[in-house]
Amino acid sequence: MAGWSDPSPVSGRLLTHLLGLLRPLVPEDGRILVAGPHDESLVAALSAVAEVTCLVRSQSDAAELSDRGGTVLCGTLAKLTDTDHYDVVVALDGVERLCSVEGPQYDWAESVQVLRRSLRPGGALLLAVENELGVHRLVDRTTVTFAHTDSAWRPLGEFDTKPGSPARLAAHLTGDGLTVGWLGTAWPLPSAPTFVATADALRDGPSGALSAAVSGAVATAYAGRPVLSDPRRLAAAAVRGGLGAELAPAWLVLAFRGPAPATTLPAVLTGAGPVAELPEGRLLEELLIGACLRHDLPTLRRLLAAWVAERPTDSFDNLVLDGETLRLLDPVRATTEPELVLRHFAHTLLAGGYYQPWPAADVPALTAILLAVAGLAGDGLAGHGPVDSDPAPPAPDSLREHEEQVRRLEERLADAATRLSYTETELVRRDAELRRARLQIDAFSGKVGYRISKLGARAARKAVRAVRRSPLFKD
Amino acid sequence: MHHANHFYGHAHVLAEYCGLDPDDPPRINGYVQHGWNVVDGLGAGTPYVSGRPIFVWSEQTRRRAWSMGRRYATVVGAPFLYLLELQPEFAEPQHREGTIWYPFHGWEGQHIAGDHQRLIDEIMATEDGPVTFCLYWHEFRDDRTRRRYERAGRVICHGYRGLRWLDTDTKFLHNQLAELRKHRRVASNRLSSAVLYGAAVGCAPAVYGDPMHLAGEVQVIAERIRRQWPELHGTHPDPAAATASALAELGAGNLASPAELRAVFGWQRALVGTS
Repeated sequence: MAGWSDPSPVSGRLLTHLLGLLRPLVPEDGRILVAGPHDESLVAALSAVAEVTCLVRSQSDAAELSDRGGTVLCGTLAKLTDTDHYDVVVALDGVERLCSVEGPQYDWAESVQVLRRSLRPGGALLLAVENELGVHRLVDRTTVTFAHTDSAWRPLGEFDTKPGSPARLAAHLTGDGLTVGWLGTAWPLPSAPTFVATADALRDGPSGALSAAVSGAVATAYAGRPVLSDPRRLAAAAVRGGLGAELAPAWLVLAFRGPAPATTLPAVLTGAGPVAELPEGRLLEELLIGACLRHDLPTLRRLLAAWVAERPTDSFDNLVLDGETLRLLDPVRATTEPELVLRHFAHTLLAGGYYQPWPAADVPALTAILLAVAGLAGDGLAGHGPVDSDPAPPAPDSLREHEEQVRRLEERLADAATRLSYTETELVRRDAELRRARLQIDAFSGKVGYRISKLGARAARKAVRAVRRSPLFKD
Repeated sequence: MHHANHFYGHAHVLAEYCGLDPDDPPRINGYVQHGWNVVDGLGAGTPYVSGRPIFVWSEQTRRRAWSMGRRYATVVGAPFLYLLELQPEFAEPQHREGTIWYPFHGWEGQHIAGDHQRLIDEIMATEDGPVTFCLYWHEFRDDRTRRRYERAGRVICHGYRGLRWLDTDTKFLHNQLAELRKHRRVASNRLSSAVLYGAAVGCAPAVYGDPMHLAGEVQVIAERIRRQWPELHGTHPDPAAATASALAELGAGNLASPAELRAVFGWQRALVGTS
């Protein structure tokens, strides 16, 4: 396609690792097809293994690729008529960017069939499939079908023939004559995943560590970005609730034309490579938020005391509680001051709209209270330190949390007005008491007789009125 | 902030617990629940000022407060329990004898109507051992009522509650604690804070006798109390179950540390000022 370039090819260290793990599947003199826009580091990783042919629709992208060496096919997917030709077909960008504006426009199912036909018997297909109901779509303020960009000449969104769940994806590929060898879920975004876990690992593995990993990946990708609701919370809840695979932003599937070999890809991967073992236990932040929502002060105090005793410089979202021990999830993450950890937690509670035992407090006040609960309060006015030294990434710009903030601001304004009027009433009362006290003082300190007689005259008038009203004088 | 925080010397006890001057407690940023309460923790006729919390005794009271529209409530536990932290029991238990009896009382706004003599007769019939009648200041001041009780046993009063920060007997709770620790049983004709305090310091609690009539009270609530806390009603309820229930109502297990209480009441600046 002339005059066109596909922006943001799929990339990332994790995918580079993943492609490196495909080496055992490629025979001597094997051939690999990379279909769609992939970052040069991914192509280079595969070129080290075998002969690579790239299929791209953009002319300028094709020119760039051929400059670096290797075979390049430039054109729309319909032109790929090779059958039984490649040992491995890699389509980590999905199949949405394979058809150009010219010629037939293939649906997802048709595109996958073309790629499958190009596989040799026994060959492997590594395909990324975006989940139209993934967390990234559920929190997106705009939808794919709005068609604002030049590339959206045929935006189908959830109306495509793409399968909507990992189970249906596996069934579809099996129906097409492929055997699924490995199915992973990719977080936080299909274009650059930083955490991959198989559906089984997400469902059966330790939910504390997995939900923290997923939430952390989503936090980095969505820092300060506009969303409908907080994707970190949605992702963590999905993994904890056993729906991680169904709500993952994308699935990476390795399928074979023939029986699947014994060796397969690892269950959990990060940018640093496969993860051997995840620590058991529940995430400390989740336990603390739960205790706040339950107003369980004894549990809160116990958890914070344990944190201060064992790990006072680690953030709550980097610790899991396994029985009585606190274990670190990511040892590489920087440590911070205990006060910053508590300030960050106070901010999480208030910004996320979590009800907690001290509803009248704002972030500095809540930080001071949490410091006192944890037993860390000094004599000074804690909680008012500099804000810029907070190392955590900024929160996503969430519409739901904005509404909550506006509602809370309105409530605080109304409360301030109520308190003002209460204080004014008190002031009036105290003024009256003060005036009476002053009169009494004057009376006893022998001051001007005029004041005494004024007091006496008023008292006499009151007495006369009372006597007149009493039943003794009714006739 | 509200003058009820000074009732019975509660603010003074809390100030001492937090390491501040007990004779000059700083202003509390909210309303401290001053008596056992089966609604939202506010006293009768007290306006709810949103934005500053009601410092309730128990989590159950906090839930009730929320359901009644009180969005700001924080559980701190009863001030009496903080006094217990300051004055723990001696290693060898003191000799305890007899019953301390708290007849149900009125206040400036509501008077009690009922047959005191019949109540006294029932009490003397039920109790074995000497009986100390602890009258609320409202009844203690009424000579006729006081003389009836004086004919039957020893009559005491713990002090004046205080009104608009004036004439507060700051040793009220201290007096009450000392008396409770001298008796084996605590009883009343209605479930009240005094019975709960007694149970918390080792007296066997009991609630029996004519509950009397309080001017303008809502009868439904009084009946609900008898239904909801059966373990504390009767002439000789099971002490173990009764004490456990009393401690839950007082918020035992929810007590804050002095630092936490200072942070929650807004007393941090006060500590800085005294150092």
